[in-house]
Amino acid sequence: MPSSPARRSTRKSSSGTQKKRGSSLEGTANQVEHSSSRQQQTTSNKKPKKSSKKGEDSSKPQNLLTMFNRETSPKTNNDAEMLVTNGKLQQQNNQREPIHHSFSTPQKSSTKLVIRPLSSAPAVSKNFAEEVWTDYLKQAVKAIQNATKVTFSYEELYRKVEDICLLKLGSFLFEKLQEEVEQHVAKQINYLQGYSHEPETFLYGVNKVWEEHCNQMKLIRSIFLFLDRSFVLHNAPVRSLWDMGLKVFRKYLQQNSEVERKTVQSIIALVTAERNGESIPQDLVKDMVRMFTALEIYGESFEKAFLDASSEYYYSEGNVLLQQYDIYTYLKHVEIRLSEEVNRVIHYLDRTTKGPLIQLVENCLLESHTVEILDKGFHSMMEENRQEDLARLYRLLARVHQLDQLKKYLGIYTKNTGARIIQDPEKDNELVQLILDMKDKVDSIVCNCFGKNETFQYAVKESFESFVNMRQNKPAELIAKYIDQILRTGNKGYTEEELEGTLDKVLQFFRFIHGKDVFEAFYKKDLAKRLLLGKSASLDLEKTMISKLKAECGAGFTSKLEGMFKDIDLSQDIMKAFYESLEWKQCGNEVDLSVVVLTSSYWPQNTCGNVKLSKELLKLQSAFSRFYLNKYAGRKLTWNHSNSMCTIRANFPKGQKTISLSLYQTLVLLLFNETDALNLREIHEGIGLEMKELKRTLQSLACGKIRVLRKEPMSREVEEDDTFYFNKDFQDKRYRIKINQIQVKETAEENQQTTERVVQDRQYQIDAAIVRIMKTRKSLTHSQLMSELYEQLKFPYQPTDLKKRIESLIDREYLERDSDTPQLYRYLA
Amino acid sequence: MVVVKLEKAKVTCHWTWNTKDETCGICQMPFDGCCPDCKIPGDDCPIVWGPCEHSFHLHCILKWLNSRQHCPLCRREWHFN
Repeated sequence: MPSSPARRSTRKSSSGTQKKRGSSLEGTANQVEHSSSRQQQTTSNKKPKKSSKKGEDSSKPQNLLTMFNRETSPKTNNDAEMLVTNGKLQQQNNQREPIHHSFSTPQKSSTKLVIRPLSSAPAVSKNFAEEVWTDYLKQAVKAIQNATKVTFSYEELYRKVEDICLLKLGSFLFEKLQEEVEQHVAKQINYLQGYSHEPETFLYGVNKVWEEHCNQMKLIRSIFLFLDRSFVLHNAPVRSLWDMGLKVFRKYLQQNSEVERKTVQSIIALVTAERNGESIPQDLVKDMVRMFTALEIYGESFEKAFLDASSEYYYSEGNVLLQQYDIYTYLKHVEIRLSEEVNRVIHYLDRTTKGPLIQLVENCLLESHTVEILDKGFHSMMEENRQEDLARLYRLLARVHQLDQLKKYLGIYTKNTGARIIQDPEKDNELVQLILDMKDKVDSIVCNCFGKNETFQYAVKESFESFVNMRQNKPAELIAKYIDQILRTGNKGYTEEELEGTLDKVLQFFRFIHGKDVFEAFYKKDLAKRLLLGKSASLDLEKTMISKLKAECGAGFTSKLEGMFKDIDLSQDIMKAFYESLEWKQCGNEVDLSVVVLTSSYWPQNTCGNVKLSKELLKLQSAFSRFYLNKYAGRKLTWNHSNSMCTIRANFPKGQKTISLSLYQTLVLLLFNETDALNLREIHEGIGLEMKELKRTLQSLACGKIRVLRKEPMSREVEEDDTFYFNKDFQDKRYRIKINQIQVKETAEENQQTTERVVQDRQYQIDAAIVRIMKTRKSLTHSQLMSELYEQLKFPYQPTDLKKRIESLIDREYLERDSDTPQLYRYLA
Repeated sequence: MVVVKLEKAKVTCHWTWNTKDETCGICQMPFDGCCPDCKIPGDDCPIVWGPCEHSFHLHCILKWLNSRQHCPLCRREWHFN
């Protein structure tokens, strides 16, 4: 409501004047009343007019005259008001003043003044409204629309409108006004039809028309404010004159669909231009979009067309760019596009468009191409460890809920890469390291790029498990070897933490392996070697490893391994006691003997080749046996010399040396105390060692780096009729020398033995499981038994293996087949 | 002239139970292994002999001796050797 306080007060005082006039007619007694009603009016100043009227009604019946005046003779009333507005209030008051005085002293006058009602009620001319409209208002409206000078004062026009409204002719005025506005808007919009074909120019045209329309409607509304607030507010089908203006504009815009369509197309053309990298007048677009919003046709007229156009644009962009760009650039581009569209919504589109628009872009650029993107890019991203790109890929796919796809690809990638490593026998030597590196890489990608997503971690785990077990037994063996390497070298160049970290990682790998028994067998064998040959770098580290295994697989898994450590400790105690004993003292203390007594069931079984010991050693050995068996009755000792180590002092002509070597090597050298030259056959007879082993031993003495023996003819290999001599020319800078046995290189034979042992153990386990199950169930069908076995057995197996074991148990009469149904097994107690 | 002289020897040997039979007459498990109640063979599940030279897992014979006092194989009176 544009009424300024000044104007409002004028009106109040004008109505006050009326009452003054009325009350002065009523007499002095009314003066009090009058002032009270005036007061009332002041207090209800800010309330709607109606309530202030009501206040008057209820105030007193004396005021009826005033009411009457107001209701029936708007003309006079109006005149009064017009007078007031013309600043003649003062004058009128002055005119009335004397009358007022004459009434205030009625007692003094002798003549009576009689007041009669007016002979005819005051009335306005019949076509008052029409006259006012054609003479004043229509002209004013036209002037505003044509942007020419309005010849009447706005105040005057406002009053005219108020008059017409008070005469209850609001509907007439409203219709006329609407007609006028319609005419003008129709003209303007028609004019736009052939305005320009260039989108930007055309939009400027539309914008001009729209802006003018808005400004005009604002001004018109100010003039017709009384109409707006009274008739329109209560009666008309629109909420306000402003709304009427919008409605009319909308009507003609929609009628003239050519203009509407062109406007929408122009906006879209501009947006497309911006998407193509041109700069556009954003404010213009913003104004146009606002227009659609104001007209309430944003959704139906603009948004739909806009989204369709955007969808088309991005659909083709997706198809083209995916061919043109590599995946990294493409994803970057998509990310830029998305942020651009968000900015577009912020800058000039309606908020409601954001959801559908972004979804559309995501859909066109990502969702429909997910498989292609992953197919083309994922593998190389992983190979090249492009963490930034992977993180982007994850972010984008998360938006379109395609993470499952990504997870699938991650799983496949992990599995394939792992399988390639695992199934390549040439890579066996570095297999564990390769797998660990790969695991590190995948883990770090999941952690850094895939937000530590748990389902991803699970997928990685699953694929590791599947590829690690693609090749049976070998990975377990290689892990055991890898750990053996670590424990042998120990913390050379590494800190404890690093070593433990490596062990932990290896164990993570180990965790995926199904056939843990294979690992145990190899680990045990290697541990035995480390302990007996003193190859272990640190006992602490060994024990840490055992406790880790214990945590991983339970106490049952490590009990034998722990037993091995116990044996070593116990042997030291036994040796201490032995050195105190009579048996030891009888030997003459010439040779320092130490014996490790092993509990055979803890240790891997070793094929012990029989050898003929030297007299000296035999004496010591039997002394120890006597001592030990005395101490532990009911036992017997089996000597195993393949792991025995000796230290000898050798007098070479060019100097004395202390050499540490294996017992076999020692025995060979001891033979040369008697004679200078020996051929292979004689040596074989002398120590009775198995030929293959003997050849290896001789090779280490005569063909290695340190040659204490001389062989004729000189060659790398030891042949049947080679002759060996004590090497009198031997010299070495060091005093202490160590001659390594030519490593009984993890021969295929030995390997196979270990594996066979595992297979044997597994058969026992299968037997035990079958009997355990059948004992509780008494009778089961074949498939039931198989499924129960599947739950119990913790290593990989073939169904045929199980069938063989069942057959064997039937043969041994643990089970029988039911005579009627051959599929049914019965347990025989 | 002694050219080579042994100074130090570190040798290994295994111990096993010196029994006549391979398996325990009560539980039928090998003496290399342990009785059904134990998990780890060796010192924790020892073997014992009676005067009749018959041997059993200690845990097995102790259960048997709860009810009677003779060797389960030859019925001679049992006491630990």
